Amino acid sequence: MEWLILFLKVFVVFQVAQGLASLCVWVERKGSALIQDRIGANRAGAFAQTDILLLKPVMPIIRLLGVLGIINTLVCDAVKALFKEDFLPENTSNFVHSLAPFMGAFPVFVAYALIPIAPDFTIAGYYIRPQVASLDVGILFIFAMGSIAVYGATIAGWVGNNKFSLLGGLRTAAQMISYELALGLSLVCMVILYGTLDLYEMIEAQSTLLFGFLPAWGVFTQPIAFIIFFIAGMAETKRAPFDLPEAESELVAGYFTEYSGMKFLLFWLGEFAEIALLSALMVIMFFGGWDIPFVHYPETWWGALIGHAVFMAKVSFFCVLQIVIRWTLPRFRYDQLMTMGWKMLLPIAMFNLLLTGALKLLM
Amino acid sequence: MEDIVWYLLSTVALLSAIAVVMIPKPLYSAFALVLHMFMIAGLFAMLDAHFLATAQIIVYAGAIMVLVIFVIMLLSLQGAEERPSLLFSVASFAIVAALARYIVPRLDAAFGSSGTDLAGTVKSVGELLYTKYIFPFEAASVLIMVAIVGAVILSKREKKDAA
Repeated sequence: MEWLILFLKVFVVFQVAQGLASLCVWVERKGSALIQDRIGANRAGAFAQTDILLLKPVMPIIRLLGVLGIINTLVCDAVKALFKEDFLPENTSNFVHSLAPFMGAFPVFVAYALIPIAPDFTIAGYYIRPQVASLDVGILFIFAMGSIAVYGATIAGWVGNNKFSLLGGLRTAAQMISYELALGLSLVCMVILYGTLDLYEMIEAQSTLLFGFLPAWGVFTQPIAFIIFFIAGMAETKRAPFDLPEAESELVAGYFTEYSGMKFLLFWLGEFAEIALLSALMVIMFFGGWDIPFVHYPETWWGALIGHAVFMAKVSFFCVLQIVIRWTLPRFRYDQLMTMGWKMLLPIAMFNLLLTGALKLLM
Repeated sequence: MEDIVWYLLSTVALLSAIAVVMIPKPLYSAFALVLHMFMIAGLFAMLDAHFLATAQIIVYAGAIMVLVIFVIMLLSLQGAEERPSLLFSVASFAIVAALARYIVPRLDAAFGSSGTDLAGTVKSVGELLYTKYIFPFEAASVLIMVAIVGAVILSKREKKDAA
């Protein structure tokens, strides 16, 4: 029974990760169309017809999904990528070429094991915490996985066997290592504040009220840390305005220039899963997870389900926010990027750390 | 179950460690070293030293090895021109084995018993670092600081010479 529960947890959390990544892909395509005053994907499945009587009632739904572009993004894109030729540049090894997208996507999905997706509940006598692994090191593990994710893009840049790819890979490594410092320091502030590394306990620590009306969410107690985490986190996902590694006007497509088909799609999936992971972390540390002020969830399965819905709504909001930022702001220049990381974010993060430590000692 | 995982981790750790020195291409041996770091982290985790395992991944696999691979890529090294002779390899292996035979039992005598009553949680490691071992800890940070300042000064001087 324990094994079954563990298996179900892994299954559900993996589906959550995939679902969020797919949602991000859809918002990326339809949302960018909205922002740029286009219509976007609306054809595939929009005129679906059938002669099978049993399927007739579901056809309007399929047509609606087609008009909304969901069939295009979730079915057509994947099928196209699967059947596309897997192009391999000359003088490179197929093993390393295949290893790179795997190394890019795998750590992100492993990091989801630490994300609690709903409040605790009891069902049929079993007490269940909807978190795959509650490790003692907690947030440090996610940080470790983030530092592994550098490999994917770096190896991909090298294996492309051309200067544009290599430049993209090197930019990725430099950018991710630079912004990891500010990211880590803002995390340390939250760890000092909550006195725990466990993400579940962090959410519980935020379920009280400040001054009787304000929820004790991280964003109200640590606003500076939130801003630093948001900016550094967006830089970690390597997307505009931080998409220097794949700057298409300078580097063709940066580190994945020589990638096509499913390998390219794996990079993409990893990137969107990272956006969703970042949103989940922001919600957990700064927006109280599933917490709503003045509401207490009952410890039943439907209570957990409501908590999960609230959590996912908050996570989706931050996913969409990141995509809107990506389609709104222009790209940084490379020196601006480095100046911002080392001369702005890092000193502010260190100051905030000192401040947090001093306040924690005084209180 | 635990035995199987232990044998798996240590076998892969040994094989990848051998691969680091045997593979002629520098980038592949760097990959093998990354794999080795992961296996060591896994062995730490099996000893309930969770903090050490995570630190191993963050510091060695995540930061130091990235820099090593960075350098290999930038210089596009093609591998050593000549392989060391068999005699040299056997001799160095014998020396290292003899040293290990000498050192390991003494290490066990010095540190083997002190770790048994402690769990490797973040809390216990932190408490030890900031109370019992505060002096070595601070001395190490000063040492690293000296190394960083030294590296900056050395690289600056080279630049002045070139100009």
